[in-house]
Amino acid sequence: MALDESSSPPRLSEQFSGYEKFISHITSVTSSFVLPFLYITDRHNPRITASLLNQIYRNGGDCSRARFAHINATACFTARLLYDTVLNALAGWEVAWENGCQNWPGEDGKRYNDSIDSFLHGLRNLRNKFREGKAKGNGSTVDEEPTMVLLVERAERLKDNLPDLIVPLTRLAELSQVKITTILLSSARWEDIKPPLGASPDPYFIDIDPSSKQDTVDSLLFEFRSTSTKQADAGTQDKTYHPSLLPLYEQYVEHVYNVCSLYTTNIQELQYIAAARWPGFVKPVLQEQNDANGDGDPDPDAIRNELTLPASDGRMRLLKFFTPSLTAALDVLYPRLTNATDWALANDPDMQAQDEAQCQTNTEGSIIVDHLPRMSKFILLAAFLASTNPAKSDVRMFGRGADKQKRRRRKFASPKKVGAQATVAKVPQRLLGPVVFPLDRLLAILGALLEENDVENRPHESCFELPGEQTDMELGRVHIYAAISELTSMRALHRTTAVEKLEGPPMYKCGISFRVAGAIAKGLQVPLNDLMWDPL
Amino acid sequence: MHSVEISTPRLFPKITFTASPGPSTRQYLAKTPTATTGVAHQAAELAAASPSRTQNVLPPQTSPNRTNQLPSTPIKDRLQSKSPKKDQPPASRPQSPTRIPRNLPSHLGTCLSLQKRAMLLELQNCIIECDEDSSLGPTNTAASQQLKDLLAGTVTRGEGNSCFVLGPRGSGKTAIVDRAIASLNQTPIVIRLSGYTELNDRLALREIARQLSIQTGKTYFGELNNDNDQEDDDNPFLDAGPSIDIPPPSHLPALVSTLTTLSRSVVVVLDAVDLFALHARQALLYCLLDTAQSCRVGQGHNGIAVIGVTTRIDTINLLEKRVKSRFSGRMLRTAAPTELSFWMKLIERVLRARIETPEEEWEPLWTLTIDNFIADGKVLKQIRETVAVTHDIRVLRRILVGVIAALAPSSPFPTCAQLVSAIHAQRIRDPFPHLSTLPYPSICLLIAAAHAHTAGHDAITFEMLYDAFREQYRASAAAPIQIAGGSIGVSRCTREVLMREFERLIGEKIFICVAPSSTSIAPGFARYRSALTWDDVKRAVDKMGKTSLKKWLTKAQ
Repeated sequence: MALDESSSPPRLSEQFSGYEKFISHITSVTSSFVLPFLYITDRHNPRITASLLNQIYRNGGDCSRARFAHINATACFTARLLYDTVLNALAGWEVAWENGCQNWPGEDGKRYNDSIDSFLHGLRNLRNKFREGKAKGNGSTVDEEPTMVLLVERAERLKDNLPDLIVPLTRLAELSQVKITTILLSSARWEDIKPPLGASPDPYFIDIDPSSKQDTVDSLLFEFRSTSTKQADAGTQDKTYHPSLLPLYEQYVEHVYNVCSLYTTNIQELQYIAAARWPGFVKPVLQEQNDANGDGDPDPDAIRNELTLPASDGRMRLLKFFTPSLTAALDVLYPRLTNATDWALANDPDMQAQDEAQCQTNTEGSIIVDHLPRMSKFILLAAFLASTNPAKSDVRMFGRGADKQKRRRRKFASPKKVGAQATVAKVPQRLLGPVVFPLDRLLAILGALLEENDVENRPHESCFELPGEQTDMELGRVHIYAAISELTSMRALHRTTAVEKLEGPPMYKCGISFRVAGAIAKGLQVPLNDLMWDPL
Repeated sequence: MHSVEISTPRLFPKITFTASPGPSTRQYLAKTPTATTGVAHQAAELAAASPSRTQNVLPPQTSPNRTNQLPSTPIKDRLQSKSPKKDQPPASRPQSPTRIPRNLPSHLGTCLSLQKRAMLLELQNCIIECDEDSSLGPTNTAASQQLKDLLAGTVTRGEGNSCFVLGPRGSGKTAIVDRAIASLNQTPIVIRLSGYTELNDRLALREIARQLSIQTGKTYFGELNNDNDQEDDDNPFLDAGPSIDIPPPSHLPALVSTLTTLSRSVVVVLDAVDLFALHARQALLYCLLDTAQSCRVGQGHNGIAVIGVTTRIDTINLLEKRVKSRFSGRMLRTAAPTELSFWMKLIERVLRARIETPEEEWEPLWTLTIDNFIADGKVLKQIRETVAVTHDIRVLRRILVGVIAALAPSSPFPTCAQLVSAIHAQRIRDPFPHLSTLPYPSICLLIAAAHAHTAGHDAITFEMLYDAFREQYRASAAAPIQIAGGSIGVSRCTREVLMREFERLIGEKIFICVAPSSTSIAPGFARYRSALTWDDVKRAVDKMGKTSLKKWLTKAQ
């Protein structure tokens, strides 16, 4: 047993560097059935921890004698899915076309997925089966109870999806009378998931510390090595992951870590960024190799050949050249505004110069308003103002009476100064989100906007004599209403009242952000800032 | 004498020296030489100047006697009787547990893992063994005896009995019930139901029937349902459908009343019985208790016992009047013992688990370290504190598992520091230990949220935080300060990166949603509140040690 402990972790700890302490901890805790319920909090790399646990229990020597089921609470979003997945995994049952795609049938063909009671019966049934199997295998250890381990990844999802199942899962060993250890793995705290009134026993807590720089770099290097062996096995001509590039990669990864660690230390995120930039990064190096070798002979042994790495000053220049693009990669790839492949293509070092400007992505996921007709833009602007300004301020902001003087004065007595005297300063509405306004108010503001900014552009018609008469007529057109409906359907406006509701005016909410509104106003040459109660 | 220096410092030598005034030191050393610490080492050297040279050779061998200094240690006599034997030639040195090595010699690695396993096994069984010593305190012993008598009445004389077992968590309720059932001389039919899984009476009914058919080999009301199913079987798609054959509630009285007519007597264990009282009309409780009450001795029936297990002290008040009147009113209380000595004994037993090992030096070495561990005043203080807070045996078990699991060849013996860290990991948990390791954008958001809170805005939106951050960034960029060539201003973060970190904080439940999210609210405008106080953020920022963040946090807005 001791031999197992000493022989298996080195292989694991090579892949998961920095986890040695955790590995020895978890193996000694679960090697004999002491604790029925463990809770692992990992706020940094929960997926890596999950795969580590998976490897420990699947082929980690001492603990792999236990039956193991690894489920993800995101995937098991209903109770039946959870029961079936767990039982199939514990029984080692593969759902296949040949066996009719059925779940683990048990002995009597009964279903074990209809309720938690049946599930518990299923567990007991499994236990009996293992025990019989063992007794047949070696008659000596009949008494030894088979142990099982159930790992639930992303356990915080249980609270949303299966709140009724948390208590039974945490008491699984007690309820089923089977030696089963439940391990919940989550990035949230147990206190956030815990059912009320102490219905669940408190778990054995294990917290995972963030990995250090060296550990992060080591695990990234491990990935490089495994990729290069994989590619060597596949026999590709691509030298991007050639084994002899490893020293360069180490330096590169350290540099990536230094640049990005301020923003994220998640190993997988770093890996993603590193993988996106690496092909571009080594391209000059490989090109130089090719030029040196002469591009005449595609020697099959060329892959095996060592590559000469650039000297230290060359490396420094390379790293320095790519630093800005690493920051750019972080800004784009970390929030997943695009994927690594596309990004790598767009930021290829050779073509970077010409089409850098074109890789503008729709970052905010905002509504695109460029193609809208002029009137729709005015409607959107009016909606934005109606959603941002308080209703009481409309007369002051848009009234034509006392005009500029009064308006400006009122406006500069802005809420910020009022807030200094009052107890609580007001937050500008632009930051709190749009408020709801009735259709009438939208039309009124739209009228004011058109009258101020649109009249000059219209061809004058002699039949309108009174000032504003033409605008009034424009406002009454059915086209305005159609445009509002269209904007609603493209979610630039949100209708908050039900369509079938008759009483009262329909209520709307603006769906565009300040930035988009600013762009529209610029296009229409409307001084937006002057019209806002809370100017920026 | 080299060995003397590397051993771990302890409290007691100091005590011994303060206890014995200057002149008597030499004499004292001669009697029970205690030379395991640096302090003691110096003292030994002092003593070396004294004529008794031969005795100064001894100290490392007889150091187990250090425990002698502790008042009322039972090991005292044993060790003292041992020590003369060890005053033997220096050749016997390696075998004697003279010192605690900091690192484990490689050949003892097997012993350590065996020892760990033995301790964990001991821990697993500890509750059961405790009670057989009947040292579990008067309350539990009495409860256990009463329950045994009650069940014996049911099984041997065919009585109908009912009782509740009440007690706080981890006080041994379930263990007492299990043991009482196991101690019976005839095996009854045991039906276990839990309020956590049986959410209504129909599920409970189905479960009763299922457990009965497993234990008796007959089916109950299954035939009825099956007959119905046969008729429907014309439809080939039906049998694959998700139909659950839950019996109608009308079967309940019929099934429960058959319980007394079975070949053996029946014990029904209701875990979390207070939750059964929430079921509609308390039908199951009513039927069970009614059957138990009306079970008369000597009518050819077998007995039935209904045992409710709960932590809720007012469970009986939850029962409806008609149910309560059928309940016998017996309530057995359990409580864990409160004396420190019990818990200390428990810990000692776990740590002193025996192992079979060919290495002879292991056992004395281990005994010595455990002696030291148990006798350590700081350890005692920690355990006293824990016991004062909770009498839950499971908490103690978790702490011990934490100590045992932390043993490794590099730190092979339990220490007070390990105990403290195990207690911190299991009992007194820091709610947000990782704040200082959060990435920069998250901390910025937290600082902005703390400022918003100070300004009186409990609910925050992402736009507010982003605006505050932008303001700060602009201010810092307007007046760039450089120290030693590096900027100490606020680093740039794009809106999207901040948004991603914001979502991460929501996922970690540091930002808690205050209004239900809806599709018409843009993610930047959803309202949250921060679970952290200003002090939490302050501590994290201080630990991070970034000047710009510190300045921002302490800045009045």
